[in-house]
Amino acid sequence: METLDLTGIPCPQNTARALMALELLDPGQALELLIDDGEPHANVPESLEIEGHTIALLERQGPGWRIIAARGGE
Amino acid sequence: MPSAPPTYLDHAATTPVAPEVIEAMAALWSSATANASSLHRSGVRAARAVETARSQVAQRLGAKPEQIVFTSGGTEANNLAIKGTIAATGRSGGHLICTAIEHPSVLAPMRWLQARGFDLTILPVDRQGQVQPDSLRQALRPDTLLVSIIHGSNELGTVQDLAVLGEICRRAGAPLHTDACQSFTKLPVELATLPVDLVSINAHKIHGPQGVGALWLAPGITLEATAHGGGQERGLRSGTSNTAGIAGFGVAAASFGPARRAALQARHAQLLAGLDRRFPTAHINGPRGNGLPHIVSVTFPGSDAKRLFQQLNRAGFEVSTGSACHATATTPSPALLAVGLEPADALATLRISHGYTTTPEQIDALLDTLHALLRATPGTT
Repeated sequence: METLDLTGIPCPQNTARALMALELLDPGQALELLIDDGEPHANVPESLEIEGHTIALLERQGPGWRIIAARGGE
Repeated sequence: MPSAPPTYLDHAATTPVAPEVIEAMAALWSSATANASSLHRSGVRAARAVETARSQVAQRLGAKPEQIVFTSGGTEANNLAIKGTIAATGRSGGHLICTAIEHPSVLAPMRWLQARGFDLTILPVDRQGQVQPDSLRQALRPDTLLVSIIHGSNELGTVQDLAVLGEICRRAGAPLHTDACQSFTKLPVELATLPVDLVSINAHKIHGPQGVGALWLAPGITLEATAHGGGQERGLRSGTSNTAGIAGFGVAAASFGPARRAALQARHAQLLAGLDRRFPTAHINGPRGNGLPHIVSVTFPGSDAKRLFQQLNRAGFEVSTGSACHATATTPSPALLAVGLEPADALATLRISHGYTTTPEQIDALLDTLHALLRATPGTT
């Protein structure tokens, strides 16, 4: 599983990059994302779900959050 | 009055926007109206367009997307690179270096800093417009805060050897900025892989829209913003992103590859060969084989370039008497004087800059027209 480190990247740039990376995957394939606390934590998982992807895991990691997201689709 | 559309041979000034760029921008203008900083779905969509472009531009530079800062153009990128680097040092004095053939958007901020107490060394160039490594070595000082060397000259087409010049700067501990607006994508070089620290590029020289540019920053380079506000572009360039323009820049960068470079090189070779064959007294300024593939600076001794420009314009050929910034000036271009031209020869010089859509027939027609015009002026052919 690949990791995309989005710490330090503001909203919605972080979401945009996560979506671009997810769409390179096959449906169901997962990607690890690292994001900051605060606005990114509030927005990134929500925005990925709205776009049809699945949040398999959301957990604290250090000062930020770790997400395992799986590409949605057929 | 000619009824046919003019033959545009001033691509060093700006280029027509490519159809695929217009299409990409139109799609965004008509469907994505959100601010690329907004958090709703439309905002995310706009942000995606910006991030896609950031990746496309980065790829052409051989860089990582996060190292790209979008600006309003090459001028802003140059100003941010120069003023931002110096501001980040916190110094109120020190030494700066640039060349005698810089674009005004490099020279003017350098002069601005000079007027505020910084020392400025302007490096000479040789007859081909090249900076000699020894002159850079001799100019560098322990307190040199920044060196700026234009990559591809907008007036001469000369390309500097940044691999060599950059290593000299590295050894001296001085950051190197390069204005690569003319060379970006036109040469098969990934600029971020060279020993440089800051690279300015823009969209409208590569068939993208006017009003969009970028600055690439090497890892570890710190800048102070010159435009403060909402903190976009990592806080280095505040202001709502020009989403459609940036997307157009990305498409333009992705589209300008080997096929377009080959077209430029073919027309360049044809133009040089035609000038050599038909104008024995003319001379080419700058390099002949290893420069930019879209710029030819040619002097027709004894001619009046301003008049020739007007005659060509009337005949349907759009060239330039120097850079666009000097298009109407009657004073000789500093870049032409820097390569050793006498003022009279500098005022007898045309810049012809073709594009990838320029046809062989258009180059032949220009040569025919030039020949007819100059034959009417004794002593010029």
